Order: sequence, then structure tokens, then C-alpha cells
Amino acid sequence: MDIELRELTGTVVMDLAGRLDLASGSNLKDEVKKLFVRDITNIHFNLARVEFINSSGLGSLVSIMKEVRLKKGRLTLSNLAGYVQEIFDITQLSHIFEIYPTEEEALASYQPVPQA
Amino acid sequence: MENVVDQIGELLVRLQSADFYERERAVKELSQRDEDEAVAGLVLALEDRDLGIRELAADHLTRMKGATAAQLLIRFLGHDDIGSRNLASEILVRIGSSAVAELVSNLNDDDHDIRKFIVDTLGLIGDRSAVGPLTASLNDDNVNVVCSAAEALGEIGSGLAVPHLIAAIENSEDARLPAVEALGKIGSPQALPVLSDLLENHDAVLQYAVIEAIGRIGEPDSVGRLAVCLENGEHLIAEAALTAIIRIQARRRGNPDTDLPLDRFLGFLLDGMRNGNPEVTEFMLSRLKAWHTDEVLSGLLGIVDHLNDSTLKQVTDILVDIGMPAGRYVVEKIIDSPSGLKLKLLDVIKAFICDDLVDSLLPLADDADAEVRQKLAHVMGLCGCRRMIPLLKQLARDPIGHVRAAALSAMGWLGDENEVDFLFTGLDDPYPDVREAATGALIIIGTTKVVAKFNADLYHHDMERQRLAVSALGWIGESEVVEPLLNALNHPDAGIRRLAINSLSRLSNVERLEPIVMALNDEDTAVQKAAVTALVALRGTDAVSDIRVLLEDGDVWVRYHTIGAIGELGEERYTDMISPYLNDEMDIIRIAAIKALTQMGSTQVLPDLERMRSEKNVDLAKAADAALSTLGGKRDGTPFDSGR
Repeated sequence: MDIELRELTGTVVMDLAGRLDLASGSNLKDEVKKLFVRDITNIHFNLARVEFINSSGLGSLVSIMKEVRLKKGRLTLSNLAGYVQEIFDITQLSHIFEIYPTEEEALASYQPVPQA
Repeated sequence: MENVVDQIGELLVRLQSADFYERERAVKELSQRDEDEAVAGLVLALEDRDLGIRELAADHLTRMKGATAAQLLIRFLGHDDIGSRNLASEILVRIGSSAVAELVSNLNDDDHDIRKFIVDTLGLIGDRSAVGPLTASLNDDNVNVVCSAAEALGEIGSGLAVPHLIAAIENSEDARLPAVEALGKIGSPQALPVLSDLLENHDAVLQYAVIEAIGRIGEPDSVGRLAVCLENGEHLIAEAALTAIIRIQARRRGNPDTDLPLDRFLGFLLDGMRNGNPEVTEFMLSRLKAWHTDEVLSGLLGIVDHLNDSTLKQVTDILVDIGMPAGRYVVEKIIDSPSGLKLKLLDVIKAFICDDLVDSLLPLADDADAEVRQKLAHVMGLCGCRRMIPLLKQLARDPIGHVRAAALSAMGWLGDENEVDFLFTGLDDPYPDVREAATGALIIIGTTKVVAKFNADLYHHDMERQRLAVSALGWIGESEVVEPLLNALNHPDAGIRRLAINSLSRLSNVERLEPIVMALNDEDTAVQKAAVTALVALRGTDAVSDIRVLLEDGDVWVRYHTIGAIGELGEERYTDMISPYLNDEMDIIRIAAIKALTQMGSTQVLPDLERMRSEKNVDLAKAADAALSTLGGKRDGTPFDSGR
């Protein structure tokens, strides 16, 4: 799996591409831990180019989400392709992850909401 | 032809008719004329005994917007009947700026009631050309006229009136209140010195108005002066001061930098939030990070079910920032709250549930409201705390299906491998959503044991369980599922065989492909097609040597699908393999061949396609036309794009 990082103000976007399984899930967890060392806890995964996730991949995402929560950060996901969205729905993980249709919408959620 | 005067005279006579419809027609005819006499007739109709006639006349007078109408209507402002006076005033307001000159010219009327009505009407019209004359009315002999003039100047909102209003405050005690209110509406900082002095006044009503006016003017420098009023013994005065401060800070759109004694106003501020007041809500949110005493948190959590989603999210974010003390408060509050509030608070606690807090939520497992129990299960799953498993197992036996489903999903999120057997019992649940939740949980866990149990389920007596098992194995997607899925290709049910092939097509580590190649000869065409797709997905162009045999299959749809699969590869080298099907006896196969050859970028078939444009079958001709359009570009040297 390819992982590309883009650092924005207050948030890091990780573009994931390929298959998310045991090995790539482990790599992903390592990358996130590196961010924690730098006190970065607001993380967005853009999954537009993720074509496959298996049980281990899901487990990695759940594990990362728990770590982010412990650090009082936020993990958001966007651009879930059909297959990935389907497995999130089947496992009900869509209830516990913050999932946005687009990266823009996800990043906007990190901004404070102005009052009317 | 009768002369004009006679015609209007006749209409005026008809206005006196006992017949409603006769009078109505007279009003309509008068409204078609523009002579002053006709306008006068309409004004007369304002006194008609019937409301319908009066409104009709008023409507036409409004549309005329003429000075004559205004002149005539002004006389009605002194009418004995208050209804007629109000109607005249209303029409004048609707006439608007066209009536201002006539109104102003009558500001010296002997009757002070008429003067007052004129001043009121000018204020409602809001035309700035009336400011000069109205400032003169601030010196009227009649106090009611003076007060109305001050109010009217406030409505018009022109800064030109400010010095005159300040003078009125100093000259007339009666005019003070409306003048202060007017200065607030105008909003000019020029008024602040005199308003600040008036804060010392002991008249509570005036003081209230002054505070409100200072708030409306909105100068940041006023906050300190208003802050003093927060200590006022009169609650309404103190709350007015806080409202004014909030208004000023809302205009500044920044964090407050003044330390304010807010504890006294907690109830007032929470009421504002509960009622959706945006300025109060913004103020509270800006203060919460630094102001979160026990009373504040308790009060805030008591109103969360009245907050909109956006505000609730902001409150939640702030509570998360505050951390554990806020979390403890949320948990304590949940237990004794009514159901609606419990659900909202469970949403809030989701944001920062952790090991230290979760035990306090245990009593909710016996809550009478199933929705609360369902949400509790989600929270338990989110907290990631495995010692909650016994509680989740209790909820997984709940009499309500939604609760059982939520509990099983949560167990999956916790990922406890020791609970596989328990989760499998969920597959026997009578409710489909519970069975789906159990399946989802088992997919997340996805261990060897789960795979083995689903493998066994492939031969379960219940056909639904068999299908669920083959799908679940596919979703698990680990290397352990490959053999069970390959074995499933020998399953007696074609649906299972097809699902197994579909699942295999997504896996990257399928080394033994013979069973899938064998499935190309399956008795079921859906299985054959699935095998074609899977082999292309797993082997790419290497699959062509296996699947080309199906180009001659007895089933048209298998042939169609195989042509499509080869086309998907986008390799021009397969042109000779596919081009013969351009002449197939079945049009659907010819269309499939056209599409496939287009995807391959096969320009050598252009002459065939040209010929096929004149086919009788419209769909065939259209497909050829579209292919020519795409492939023609390639022949002309344009980079080929098959749209893949």
C-alpha cells in the first residue's frame, strides 16, 4: 500500500492507495505513531485509491481510531470506494468512524462552526 | 358624451347606493380615473360601512401614490373614528415617499393629534427627507408630538438627527426615553458620552433603555462601562447590561477579553442558549473553556437536548477539551436524566468515553428505553474496553432486536477473539439485522476460528446461512479463506459457487486457479460468467487462453460476457480473436464485439464499422457510430482513450 502525507494547518491528510491488509495495516499504524510523536492527532485518511480492505485492515483502522481517541485527537475518513463503503456498512463501522463523502467536507469539519 | 364632472358625480352617487355590488363597481370605476375628484371619491369610500369596500378603496389609493391622495388622506388623520384614522395612516405609509411632502406641509396643523399622527406616519415611511422637519418637531409644544418625533427619527435612523436628539434629552425630561431609544437605533458613537452620563440616572426604565442603546451602538470601549452595571441590584438592569455586552462582542466576532462576573447570570445565559439565541450561544461557547464550574457544567448538560446539532457539536468539542472533569459530569448527569436528554448525553459522551468513565454507565444497561440501551452498546464498543464484554453479552440477549444488533456490532469493534462462539449464536437470531450485526462482528475479528466456522456453515442446513458464510469469507479476505472458497466451487448450490468466485476475484493471493478455470464449464451460466471475471481480475491477459473457449459457448450471455471481459483488457492484439463476432448471427454479440474492439483501440475494423452504420438494427448502427467516433480519433493521430 502507498501512503502519502500532506500536512495542513492542524491536520495531516494521509492518501492511502492499494490494499489494506495485515502488512499494510501495520505500516499505517507505524506512520500514525510517528505523527503522535510530533503531537499530531488530527488525522484524515483519504481512501479514494484503496481498492480492498480485509479483516486485518479493518482491525488496523479500529486500532488507529482508538489510539487517536486516547490522544484526544480526531480521525476522519473520506472517499470510500464502493467495496470499502460496503464493508464499513456490513461491519457497522460506519457508526463509529467519522466518514465524509469528500476530503474537503472532512477538512471543513475540523474548522470551528461560525454562529449564525 | 357626458362631461367628466357628470361622470364622476354619477359614480359618487353610486357610492351611496344600498347595494354593495353597485358601490364596489363605483369604486373600481373611480380607480380607473386620474382626476382629483375621482381620488376624492375613493377617499370618501374609506368611510363606507362595509369593510370590503373600504379595503378596496384603500388598495386603489395605495397604488395611485399621488400627492392628491396624500392630501386628502391627511384629513382623515383627525377623524373621530380611530379605525378610519389608522386606515388613512396605513395607506399613507403604503404610498410612501410620494406622501412625505404633503405630510411635512401639515406638520404645523393646529390639531396636535394630527401632528402626532403625521410624525408617526413619517417615521413609518422612513424617508430621510423628513429628518429636518422631524427635528423641528422635537421642539413642539405638545409632549406627545415630541416623543413621537424622537421615535420617528429613531425609525428613520439618520445620523443628522443625533445632535437634536441629544439636545432633546437635555431639554425635555419627557423626551428622554424615546430619544435614548432613538439614539440606540441610529447607532452613532457620537451619542455615547451623553448615554454614559445617563447610566447614573436612578430611573430604572431610563437606565434600561440607555444600556440597550449603548449595546446597539456596539462600541467595544463601552464594555467596561457596562460591566459595572452587571453588579446592579436590579436584576433586569444587570441582565440588560450583559445582553448589551454580548451584542457588542458578537459584533466584534472575537473572544471576549474582559473578565466578567458571570456566575449570577448562568440561568439567564442558559435560557438564551436553550431558546436558540445565536448571540448568547456564541458568547457562552466563547466563555466555556475558561468558565466551567460545577454549576455551569450541570446547567449546560441540562439543556443539551434543546441545542441544535451544530451547537451540540461545539459544546461536545469544548467538553472534550475540558477533559475528565467534564466527562464525569456528563456521566453523572446521564443516569438521572429523562430519556431524550440521556440519548443526547450519550452522543456527547461518545466523544470522550474511556476506561475511567465507562463503569458509571453500567446502570443504563437496565434502562427502560430500548434506544438508550442501544446507544449504550455503541458507546461501550467505542470505548474499546474489553471488560465491558459481559455487559455487551447481556445486551446481546436483550428482548429488543435493535439492542441485540448494537451489542453484537460493538463486540466486533472490540475484536475479542474469545467471543467467536457467542457471536455465532447471533446468526441464529430471528431478526435479520441482528444476524447481519453478528456477521459484521465476525468479519472484523476474522480469525482462523471464524474462517473455520464459516467454512462449516457452507454446508449448514439453512441455505441463508450457507450464503451468508460464503459472503463473510469473502469479506474477511485473509489468506485462510482461499481454500474454503476454492472448495466452495464444488458446492451443490450455484449461488454459493458464484459468490465464492466473486469473493476469490478480490483476493490477491489465489495461487491455485484450476478450480476457477474448471468453473468456466459450470452448468450454471452465472457461475461461468463469474469465473471469466475472476480469471481476468486475477491473471489479467494470461486468463485469455482459458476463457476464449467460452467465446463459442452455447449460451449467448456467456459469449457476450466473455467478449466484454476480453475487451476490458484493452489489448489490441486480441482484435483477430474478437473481430469475427462483428458478423455473428446475433446482434447482441455483434454489439458486444463493437464495444470490446473499441476498448482495444482496434482501428483495423474501421471499414467493418463503417459498413455497420447502415444496419437496420438501430442499436447496432448506434454502437458502430459511437465506435467510429472513438476509433476515428485514434486513426487521426489523436491519443486513444477508450474510456477505461
